Amino acid sequence: MTATWVSVLAAYLHLLAVATYVGGSIAMELILGPAQRFVPPAQAQILAQKSADRFLVLVWSSLALLPASGMLLFFSLSDQSLVTSGGIFSTGAGRTLLAMMALWAVLVANGAVITFVLRPRLASRTSASGGRAAAGAQLQAMSRAATWVSRLTRVDLVVALVVVLLGASLAYGNGIL
Amino acid sequence: MRDGLGYLFTLEWAVYVGGALFMELVWRPLQRHVPPQQTGVLCNSMGRRYRWLALACLVAMAATGAAWQLDGGGLAAWRAGGLAAAWGSLVALVAGMGLLVHPRSHARLQPGEDRAALRRRRQRAIKVMDVMLRAELAVALLGALVAVWPHGSAPGPAI
Repeated sequence: MTATWVSVLAAYLHLLAVATYVGGSIAMELILGPAQRFVPPAQAQILAQKSADRFLVLVWSSLALLPASGMLLFFSLSDQSLVTSGGIFSTGAGRTLLAMMALWAVLVANGAVITFVLRPRLASRTSASGGRAAAGAQLQAMSRAATWVSRLTRVDLVVALVVVLLGASLAYGNGIL
Repeated sequence: MRDGLGYLFTLEWAVYVGGALFMELVWRPLQRHVPPQQTGVLCNSMGRRYRWLALACLVAMAATGAAWQLDGGGLAAWRAGGLAAAWGSLVALVAGMGLLVHPRSHARLQPGEDRAALRRRRQRAIKVMDVMLRAELAVALLGALVAVWPHGSAPGPAI
């Protein structure tokens, strides 16, 4: 009975984490992004920064919750010999699980690059003290960072969709790999 | 076939709930940092897009859910009923917001109406919209709980 409650709770949290990541990314890309064209550029920049700040909190919460709830779900539902007797490499379910973990690591790595490398560059203020050339170079660096944030966000969305595919194949069968 | 339907159902549900969570946890607090006129412009554009995305997800959920049942689904009656009730409530809420309340929040001045009355009318519509958005999120989260309840697995009909 306890195992059932734990598995229901774990499944619910796991799905909320997936929904927050995938649905939030799609909403950011398809709802908020295009709407920013309708406000003045300065306001759009503030909006983009504030929304990204808030969304990153959700992203990191989801990324933390995914493995925690996933492990809880796995150990409350599955046959644990999958990991103890080498089944993780020799069975479809094991390989699918491994691929999901690898893709989760990709999401974490991309999230870290966006949060700790690219976002600080975008948030930096242009200064006139170094002259016009330095300000121009800084603006160029910010523009490059914005382009990379956009690229990585799209890559993350595709990776997250593949993770959902793999997760669904585990939930409805024995994995697809 | 069943795996594919399960994948699609999970994805549609995730996009729907994630979108609702995004509106509640990102967009609503964000409005404090935007001037009122621009909030109106943004709400108008985002509301239109959100409505179509939500309706597309709901239609796709119904299609994949029905296809799964026809493919020998065998959901327990209470779960199928719970999911159908949640789905129906979501359709009613999204349609109500999109077709009735959202247009009212952007209403124009009627002949013989003063600006204060128009503002009150718009504010009433915005308050109703807030309540409906929260109800939508609550129903979506409850529907998900019904879906994972018996086996503690994915939210689809293919559990």
